[in-house]
Amino acid sequence: MLFNSFHFVVFFLLVLALNQALRRWPTAQKLMLLAASYYFYGQWSWIYLGLILWSTLLDYAIGLGLVRVSHPRRLLWLSLATNLGLLAFFKYANFLIANWNGVATAVAPTWQLTPLDVLLPVGISFYTFQSLSYVIDVYRGTSRPRRNLLDYALFVAFFPQLEAGPIVRDYEFFSELDGDRRVDAARVQEALVLIAFGFVKKMVFADNLARFADPVFDAPAQHGFWDVLLAVYAFAFQIYGDFSGYTDIAIGCALLLGFRYPQNFNYPYVAQTLQDFWRRWHMSLSRWLRDYLYISLGGNRHGPMRTYIALMLTMLLGGLWHGASWNFVLWGGVHGAWLALERGLLQRSALWRSESAPARALRWFVTFQVVCLAWVFFRSKTLADALTIFSTLAAPTAVAFDRANHGGIALLLAGLLAAHLLGGTRGTKTRLATAGAGPYATAMAALVLLLVLFTPQTSAPFIYFQF
Amino acid sequence: MRALLKLLLAPLLLLLGVEALFRAGAWEPFARPDSHAGTSILRKRALSSPAYRRIDYVTLGSSRPEYGLDHEALAALAQRHGRVHANLSMPGSHWMTLDVLGDWLARAHPEVRGGIIALSIQDFLFAGNGAYELGIVYPFHRLADVRGMAQHVPFTREDPATWGLISALFEYREDVRDALLHPRERRDSLAWWHARPAEELLRQNTHRDEDMCAFGLDALDACDKVEVAGGERAAGLARQCRELRSGAKGRFDLTAMTRQQPQPEFLQLTRDLVRARLRSLRWSTPPIVVLMPAPRVWQDAVSPSGLHDWALDVLRPLTEDGSIHLIDATTALETDGRTDCRLFFDFYHQNDAGRARLMETLLPQIAALLYDARAAPAPP
Repeated sequence: MLFNSFHFVVFFLLVLALNQALRRWPTAQKLMLLAASYYFYGQWSWIYLGLILWSTLLDYAIGLGLVRVSHPRRLLWLSLATNLGLLAFFKYANFLIANWNGVATAVAPTWQLTPLDVLLPVGISFYTFQSLSYVIDVYRGTSRPRRNLLDYALFVAFFPQLEAGPIVRDYEFFSELDGDRRVDAARVQEALVLIAFGFVKKMVFADNLARFADPVFDAPAQHGFWDVLLAVYAFAFQIYGDFSGYTDIAIGCALLLGFRYPQNFNYPYVAQTLQDFWRRWHMSLSRWLRDYLYISLGGNRHGPMRTYIALMLTMLLGGLWHGASWNFVLWGGVHGAWLALERGLLQRSALWRSESAPARALRWFVTFQVVCLAWVFFRSKTLADALTIFSTLAAPTAVAFDRANHGGIALLLAGLLAAHLLGGTRGTKTRLATAGAGPYATAMAALVLLLVLFTPQTSAPFIYFQF
Repeated sequence: MRALLKLLLAPLLLLLGVEALFRAGAWEPFARPDSHAGTSILRKRALSSPAYRRIDYVTLGSSRPEYGLDHEALAALAQRHGRVHANLSMPGSHWMTLDVLGDWLARAHPEVRGGIIALSIQDFLFAGNGAYELGIVYPFHRLADVRGMAQHVPFTREDPATWGLISALFEYREDVRDALLHPRERRDSLAWWHARPAEELLRQNTHRDEDMCAFGLDALDACDKVEVAGGERAAGLARQCRELRSGAKGRFDLTAMTRQQPQPEFLQLTRDLVRARLRSLRWSTPPIVVLMPAPRVWQDAVSPSGLHDWALDVLRPLTEDGSIHLIDATTALETDGRTDCRLFFDFYHQNDAGRARLMETLLPQIAALLYDARAAPAPP
């Protein structure tokens, strides 16, 4: 079930009404939310709901077992092996087979394997990481095991975050679940602003930008310099609108149900360094990678070289988490390499560290270009396509700017960038969430008007659903 | 609770305000002139010029009369009798347009005493012709018309093109988007159209002089020839051929259907609506319904067999009780059962020669019915 569907609107209004009606009976309320979450996921696949149930029961039992057994490490490994094994099977098996077959073609063609006929379960990367974080936290002793199975099942499957995050930590979720979840007018205002912004980001900006970016990325060789350059920037804003839009809707919906989730995006394109970017982009994944991967790999505790290796490995695996393709690995690799470069070389440069306005502008500009160029690997279907894009940008054959074809999109992108930079410094969304009745009503009406006027006839699924 | 209501109601009220502005026509001065709505708006605008303060007769219909009738001759005929005849035929007009525009004329120009309603037999197959027609009627409609409009194009949640029935914002959203994307082009085209005199829109003929003799008009094999021919014109004809082939593929026996008791629901609906729409015209002289010439390929290969008879069946009670005058010109441009290829410029429309040929017989009949009191019986 997609957030941007009529089905979801009806479903959510019903859940909202039931959530309100059952507020005096917490167990019934939780049961209803769990049933709704399973229904939400079941609309995509009832069979794959079994995977969520399995993950839930296993990690719930392991969580309880971790504080009782004498060798908790074994239980931790059991959870890691099972969860990551399932993720690997569904997400990476065919990737591994394809790579194996590539090698086998050259060495021994009879060793070729038949690709598996499996569908990637929606949200598996998200709920696997969420469930794993709980087990690791209990193992580390930073969290206590949750004894109530209903609570734990809801933590794993709560529908606003189930399909594409944010990846919520157990203490964040349970503190909300156990706390006062009354929804007052201020919360409703905040939630409505988030939801409206989310829909506008997704359906007005991301979906319309996709109409420009998709044809270029689908056939890069057929496009000239300006098409390609603008498509790269268009995709940067498309994926931001798509994913942060989804997150805004998810957080807004959770808020209406009484759960305050942490922020997942904080104007990432205002970042002055790539490290800053990762503190603003998909923040819940960045935190996860930092806490469970980067730190586990040694972090910055073992000298510069180990730090660079840890950074690189974290980003490579982070790239691979997004999808089973070398392009994602390369995307992660570019980020890892630039993060290492920032830490190793650029931080030593006085210019890079300066707080003067030109230095800040330079840092922002360079970082934004690195992020946008790295998206080329992320979005391109093949490595060859990505290289075609880079070669078109590096050695343009036709550089004439065609105002009729490029003027509109260039203006739109400039406007979006300006709005993003302005939003990053002034916190438009936050201000609206607490604004008085007049500005709030005007802004909301304007957002809905944007939706009515500019939503394309067909809306694409959220990009992060495929991860 | 009050605070919650305020949170939801305040933006909603503002939105309803914008919706009301659009409903009231606030966007009309900016609408794209060559869109369906824009075509209507230009005519509405032209009708407000001093030359058309008083209108006596109108021509209503689709692109077939737009090309196939001689509007200059009709206007000149009216002028000779001290009357004003305005051509309000617009491409894509169907029964919904007749309904809404008829009502609008009754409100804005109650002096209209009669006119020509030019149709083709294909218009008698279905009550609706597509959601695009909402655009044509929008500038003329009132909220009270929506129910009637939905009889022609029902609201379908899955089809945003029909959402114009419930919201003017949805109806004009493509237009607004286009204006924002191409503001300069919009400004220039509006200025160009607004500089045209009203007479140009309401009485001038649209000229086409190509013919169909290279392809033929009697059978579907004309499309084989179109598809091998190159060039822009052939590309336009090829689009029509796709419609022809699709129609031919789904061709059915209407004669058998009309004999069923009860008749299929869509036929009952069409029949009842057509009769109701024609009867609802509050003109002092009965409307002259002209069935426009249709090339043979339509009757022999594309339209359901028996469509011509069905159209006449639908109209028969209206002619019998004097509600309309009927001029059936469906086969007027045929010789020995073959359509004269020199008289059409595509599979639908007559060219200048076709218009002239048709008007040779049509104009005297129209003149007699509109201006000869003896020939024009009083309405019942």
